[in-house]
Amino acid sequence: MNHAATIFVGVMLTFASAWLGLVFLPYVQLGNIEPAAIEGSTDAYPKPLGGLAARGRGVYIAGGCVYCHTQQIRPEGFGADIERGWGPRRTVARDYMYDRPHLMGTNRTGPDLANIGARQPSSKWHHLHLYNPRITSPGSVMPSFRYLYEKRKITGERSRLALELPEEWKPESGYEIVPTDEALALVAYLQALDHTTPLKEAETP
Amino acid sequence: MSDTRREKSSSPASPAPRGGKAIGRASDRGGSVERPIDPERAARRRFRVDESTRVPVLTFFTGGAFWLLAGSILALLASIKLHTPEFLDGASWLTFGRVRPAHLNTMIYGWASPTGIGVILWLTARLAKAELRFPRLLVAAAVVWNVAVLWGTIGILRGEGTSIEWIEFPPYVPPLLVLAFSIVALSVATTFHDRGEAHVYVSQWYIFGAIFWFPWLYTVVELLMVYRPMAGSPQASVNWWFAHNVLGLWLTPIGLATIYYLIPKVLGRPVHSYYLSIVGFWSLALFYNWAGAHHLIGGPVPAWLVTVSIVASMMMLIPVGTVAINHHFTMVGRFAILKYSPTLRFIVFGAMSYTAVSVQGSFQSLRDWNEVTHFTHYTIAHAHLGVYSFFTMTMFGALYYIMPRLTRWEWASARLIRVHFWGTAGGMAIYWIGLTWGGVLQGAAMNDPKVPFLDIVKMMIPYLWSRSLAGVLMTTGHVAFAALFTMNMLHLGKRRYEPTLLDDPREYARLIASPPAWEETPAS
Amino acid sequence: MTLNYIVFAASALLFGGSAVVALAWAMRKGQLENFQRGATSIFDADEPIGRVTDSFPGQKPKPAGGATKRS
Repeated sequence: MNHAATIFVGVMLTFASAWLGLVFLPYVQLGNIEPAAIEGSTDAYPKPLGGLAARGRGVYIAGGCVYCHTQQIRPEGFGADIERGWGPRRTVARDYMYDRPHLMGTNRTGPDLANIGARQPSSKWHHLHLYNPRITSPGSVMPSFRYLYEKRKITGERSRLALELPEEWKPESGYEIVPTDEALALVAYLQALDHTTPLKEAETP
Repeated sequence: MSDTRREKSSSPASPAPRGGKAIGRASDRGGSVERPIDPERAARRRFRVDESTRVPVLTFFTGGAFWLLAGSILALLASIKLHTPEFLDGASWLTFGRVRPAHLNTMIYGWASPTGIGVILWLTARLAKAELRFPRLLVAAAVVWNVAVLWGTIGILRGEGTSIEWIEFPPYVPPLLVLAFSIVALSVATTFHDRGEAHVYVSQWYIFGAIFWFPWLYTVVELLMVYRPMAGSPQASVNWWFAHNVLGLWLTPIGLATIYYLIPKVLGRPVHSYYLSIVGFWSLALFYNWAGAHHLIGGPVPAWLVTVSIVASMMMLIPVGTVAINHHFTMVGRFAILKYSPTLRFIVFGAMSYTAVSVQGSFQSLRDWNEVTHFTHYTIAHAHLGVYSFFTMTMFGALYYIMPRLTRWEWASARLIRVHFWGTAGGMAIYWIGLTWGGVLQGAAMNDPKVPFLDIVKMMIPYLWSRSLAGVLMTTGHVAFAALFTMNMLHLGKRRYEPTLLDDPREYARLIASPPAWEETPAS
Repeated sequence: MTLNYIVFAASALLFGGSAVVALAWAMRKGQLENFQRGATSIFDADEPIGRVTDSFPGQKPKPAGGATKRS
């Protein structure tokens, strides 16, 4: 057992290096990314989220959306993310440079949302879907987020924001369903989820 | 430090115990020379050592049992909501996205960790053959820990969770957990220092690993993800480095320490190959740490990182192999005892699950397999095979052994133990088969762009129902366990003078009286 | 950001350093020798090798004294 000493010291050093590899090197390699200039314009991608969308991100986190929805597109030839129309290209480190915390997710009980803003730009659709997912997507198992909406007695004019619900989902007459500030913020965030801008490091198939 | 200790520390180098080859034989029943040969004295010491752990360990266990029930209810809620979304959907604090992380965190930080800490404390004192240090401080630590878990769980249900998987507790909770944990670490270290047994048994290596790795993982991940968050995709690799290692470098070492102590202890038979057990420990330490990034295959992280972690995941077959071989050959010739002993039945179930979950984990990190199973319910079945089937079942086994020695009260009902075992084991089997099979179908359908997404959702419904059924069975088992636990703590039921066994005690007496098969050939 | 680098450096040092210390200790004390003896260190005169100890045998009425004697 005299070689044990050498072997075990080797083992220890390798173990410590794992930490450097898994935590430190990605940090150095990916931690200092800059936004990329968009060709033919003075704009850069990505941009930090605007005020309302940034608040909506908080609502997304508080609702635990990440447990059923990913925000990452796997590359062509690995899974069918692109073929399903979830995005035109794989997502890369630059797409996430402003994300704190990251919301990449690990489960697709629901579809990927990396580009939901581009795929589903209508705020009307999002409100109906959040109020009750079965309105827009029969058979969905997504929870209803009714608690982000308010049932109000209509006094005077109908609210501009009130949901236009199909007959069977309508509240009793004289009442309307209006989104709370949280619902408005969440929808603004979902509409802002758009990683379709072409990037050099992620070829578009 | 006592005289006995000094005398013992020099002994490994002395020639006397080098004749160790003979120790495995029945002819050398007293163990090696420097141990007390007077059974009365040895028993008195064991009693004293167990007694010193009684209050803190039982406090940790009580908290664990409470959170086991709370976590089961949250689990059932979450499971039902996935196939019947209208179920209790009116209130924000009961929405799936909050109940699910509340379930995970109560189970990991409320049930698994404190129960594991209790077992660590008991094992530390036992293996050191010394009384546990700082018992009062430890009780305070247990209280702080449970208050923190309660506070954090309420925080998650109120919508203050971080949405970072495995560390969802709001930012005000982690400092409390770290405080409580440092008391535990202090007690373990000082008790070890006081030890009356010079040799460091393999379980102690695992305990050191766990005690050292957990605070390190936890503080680093909290600092880099919650308090001073890094930006973007490096977070994902830190996230999975942590989440994977909580299982691999915190719960796994506790589970293995328990198994390595209790199987030999219950059977009265030294572990098959002690050398292999030490190799197993160091290779776990070497490879596990690298494996976490296999959760990010196809994700926006450097390709080399993912490749390294796939290699490490395959290398994990080495430590797993050593553990499996060791436990199997320690059991050989004695499998019949599983019919009678509650401890051994749960522990061996856990040990076998460890092999299963690790082998499964190694193969699902391969790209071709991962392409199908990633993002599906398959992964969730895998996680439960690890945390539940391996760790939780092992802890149940340990509790069946430890509790009566601390409460001085035998388990009240063999029937309830049977309900506990078959509920949890049967529930786990249904859970794993349903979600593994469902997950493969889900992944295959998801990789076929012609299948509309909503069709996949509908296709999953029966499998999600099978999980709820499994959840009901497991919860039934947990209720039986909680009833037994309460009766044991309060000394309810008939006073028993014989062990509570799962089958006919007379046959059992005959079984253990017959000359054990291994005593003919020395273990080597 | 500098704080993050300090966290990295400190935990790498703490981690690697303590592991090496633990290992050096183990070798100095002979923990990595004589594995057979290690395997038997959990047995004692009252619960020797060869005795099944799977269940607490209950508290038989016994003369005073803390120790539990097994029949």
